Amino acid sequence: MEYTREEKAIIWLCGCVQAEYRERAALLRAAGDPARLFAGLQEFARGVIKDASARVYTIDGAAREREADAFLSRLSSRGYFAVTLLSEDYPENLKAIPDPPLVLFGAGNRALLQKRRFCIVGSRLTPPWAEKQTKLFSERISQSFAVVTGFAEGGDRAAIDGACAGGNLICVLPLGLDGCYPAAHASLKEKVKRSGLLLSEYPPEEKLMKYYFHARNRILAGLSEGVLVVSAREPRSGALMTASYAADYGRDVFAFPYNIGVAQGSGCNGLIKKGAYLASCPEDVLSAYGIDAKEDRRETLPPEEARVLALLRENGEMHAAELAEKLGMAVFELTAVLASLEMKNLAVKSGGNRYSAL
Amino acid sequence: MIAKVICYTLNGLEGIPVEVETDVNKGIPAYEMVGLPDTAVKESKERVRSALKNSGLLFPLHKITVNFAPADLKKEGAVFDLAIAVSLLKASEQLVGADVSDTVFLGELALNGDLRPVNGILPILISAKKHGFSKFILPKGNEKEARFLGGAEIYAAANLSEVVAHVSGAALLPPVETAEFSVLSGRRAASADLAYVKGQPVARRALEIAVSGGHNLLMVGPPGTGKTMLARCLPTIMPDLTFEEALEITKIHSVAGTLGEEGIVTERPFRTPHHTATTVSMCGGGNRAVHPGEISLAHGGVLFLDELPEYKRSTLEALRQPLEDGVITIARSAGVVTYPARFMLCASMNPCPCGNYGSAGLTCTCTPAEIRRYRAKVSGPLLDRIDLQVEVDNISYDDLTSQQKQESSAEVKERVEYARRIQRNRFAGAKIVTNAEMGEGEMRAFCKLSAEGDAILRSAFERMKLSARARSRIIKVSRTIADLDASEQILPKHVYEAVSYRIYDKLG
Repeated sequence: MEYTREEKAIIWLCGCVQAEYRERAALLRAAGDPARLFAGLQEFARGVIKDASARVYTIDGAAREREADAFLSRLSSRGYFAVTLLSEDYPENLKAIPDPPLVLFGAGNRALLQKRRFCIVGSRLTPPWAEKQTKLFSERISQSFAVVTGFAEGGDRAAIDGACAGGNLICVLPLGLDGCYPAAHASLKEKVKRSGLLLSEYPPEEKLMKYYFHARNRILAGLSEGVLVVSAREPRSGALMTASYAADYGRDVFAFPYNIGVAQGSGCNGLIKKGAYLASCPEDVLSAYGIDAKEDRRETLPPEEARVLALLRENGEMHAAELAEKLGMAVFELTAVLASLEMKNLAVKSGGNRYSAL
Repeated sequence: MIAKVICYTLNGLEGIPVEVETDVNKGIPAYEMVGLPDTAVKESKERVRSALKNSGLLFPLHKITVNFAPADLKKEGAVFDLAIAVSLLKASEQLVGADVSDTVFLGELALNGDLRPVNGILPILISAKKHGFSKFILPKGNEKEARFLGGAEIYAAANLSEVVAHVSGAALLPPVETAEFSVLSGRRAASADLAYVKGQPVARRALEIAVSGGHNLLMVGPPGTGKTMLARCLPTIMPDLTFEEALEITKIHSVAGTLGEEGIVTERPFRTPHHTATTVSMCGGGNRAVHPGEISLAHGGVLFLDELPEYKRSTLEALRQPLEDGVITIARSAGVVTYPARFMLCASMNPCPCGNYGSAGLTCTCTPAEIRRYRAKVSGPLLDRIDLQVEVDNISYDDLTSQQKQESSAEVKERVEYARRIQRNRFAGAKIVTNAEMGEGEMRAFCKLSAEGDAILRSAFERMKLSARARSRIIKVSRTIADLDASEQILPKHVYEAVSYRIYDKLG
């Protein structure tokens, strides 16, 4: 892959210079033309980086360019690419945020950066029904958007599962592309790399830091036209943080509604209270963007299944025994009907032998 | 003079005849034992000496040699005491004229000459009868166990003097009367009954299916929801023991020394080893005699593992092979022993470390990683072998069920017996009894799925990422559900129900 000298300079600044985001951005501003960084780093660094001599200035301009070239060849040998603020395909809406990443390192389908993007996030403690819904939402939304999400278990995982098959999926990692967090998602990471796109603002070897999650969440919001929060627990939650970034950037915020008193959903309800859109079906999201996506989900069900489903829709979550009582069926007959509904994606078991309709 | 008396020792459940030969010679008084006796057998020297003296008999002051043949077999335990004493009496010409060559002598001696009961009498009697012996003299304490042999002359003696009197013809012992086996004879008042279990309709149904088809069962639920109580109901709905089954189970318990007063096992075993159990205690073994482990003691009954993830991983993995084969073969330097181990595995566990995952009012505080770690303690291959996985929930249904009378174990048992009858007819002539034991051939013959049933299974297979073994287990469970439904065909609803009992594949 070809990079201009300016791009190369920015990549070098982000990949080879030990500094914080704030310092790098200040250096870039001071230099004006990024290419001037190679020769004049010391000059621009004055007053920007404290005890700078210890960190960067051991080599001259030419050596720095050689260092940049070596870094780039390492990148491409691993199949990674870098998108800088100056690149043509750097997402416009990400550029609009106050602190856009100077470089995005990526692996996978770069063309997804040109697509419309919508973010789906949720906490790790997402209840089973919400996971299932998230998957359905993600599947539908990914037909019109590239779904942007994190890489955590729970809500993020469900969003990945929904969009992965179609390939319209962007995962932004809170660490370098070489790493994987959580480690259990290593094979999932490969899958996303093959069908979708992995992004990170950190060089490939970068290890995970606690505050990187925070920084990553601004990218999730910045990349997307809107954010759907599928589960979040008050007061502190990464998903809520992403939503608040999105609100700051003027993007739409959607949230799943939850029952009163369900801890995993207190954050979602809080968002709705503050004016977020309530999303109870994928159309709620899609229609906000003028996408007419009515899907006829009516199926011709056998009468028994239809009866069970109607009852579930009417009452919300119900215990199998309660349901059987109301229908006058034996529980084991009902179990079979429910299993059938479950396999048709019309009902979901939420643990403790309780079921709810989708 | 040389005397020869027959005794028996055990290798697993197999009795092996041992000839006890005694030679009493002139010479410096000595008392030697040869022929690979272990410590307990060597100690019998002193017991026999005292018992003889205290029974008013003479211990010869000569050079005495006792030999156990075959000489290459290790002899263990105190079962040889009586045979040594009798052969000594015979060799020292205190039992002139009595013929003991066709009699098997079994029993441990006390110092005062009393006979003490020994373990493993029933398997010994059964083997000896097979070898052609039909006359036995054994301790009074083993009489009850021996009653069930039938077709043999068995005498139970209280002490050595009675044996001597009987053998010499001075005072004959009455032969032990053969007892008729009846399950009701030994039945204790059942402490558990499904009638006492409130609610839990899903789990009750799973119990019924599990017992009907001989399937393994896992109950997942928050603490204190009645998993253990449900498990304790399992033996109460299992079919009654047949005499053959009872004999086989009794044999194992006789060897292990866990036989009760009755002398025969009349109830299906329910074994609950604690989660600190070692692999050897679970599977059997030991450094000298190879003892049957919990899985063999549970043969014909239920092995209940409470809090499954707390067991040592290696102990659980060791269960995999016996679960498939129904026997356990234990190899030690002393030899190889095979014990039967066809048990129904029933396990229980919490859904997550805090126990509240999926419960109604309470919030689970575990992270997905914690839950995964907790569940990973039970390996996939073991879970694969558990056909029915069912949730036990913590909702009180008192208001729902207060008017409703709960079904009692007896009512459920009737349906179980019905399903078992169908299976017996189906497998008549084959070696297997239950649907769970079906092999590929039987499944092809008896578990034809309709196109629709196959489609359901295919979709479940893909959605739940099932293994091939899990698939065939679902089919077997469907077969059992169809049997309970008195349906020749496996209908789609049966497959659906069977699939719904694989919750773990969905959760994990």
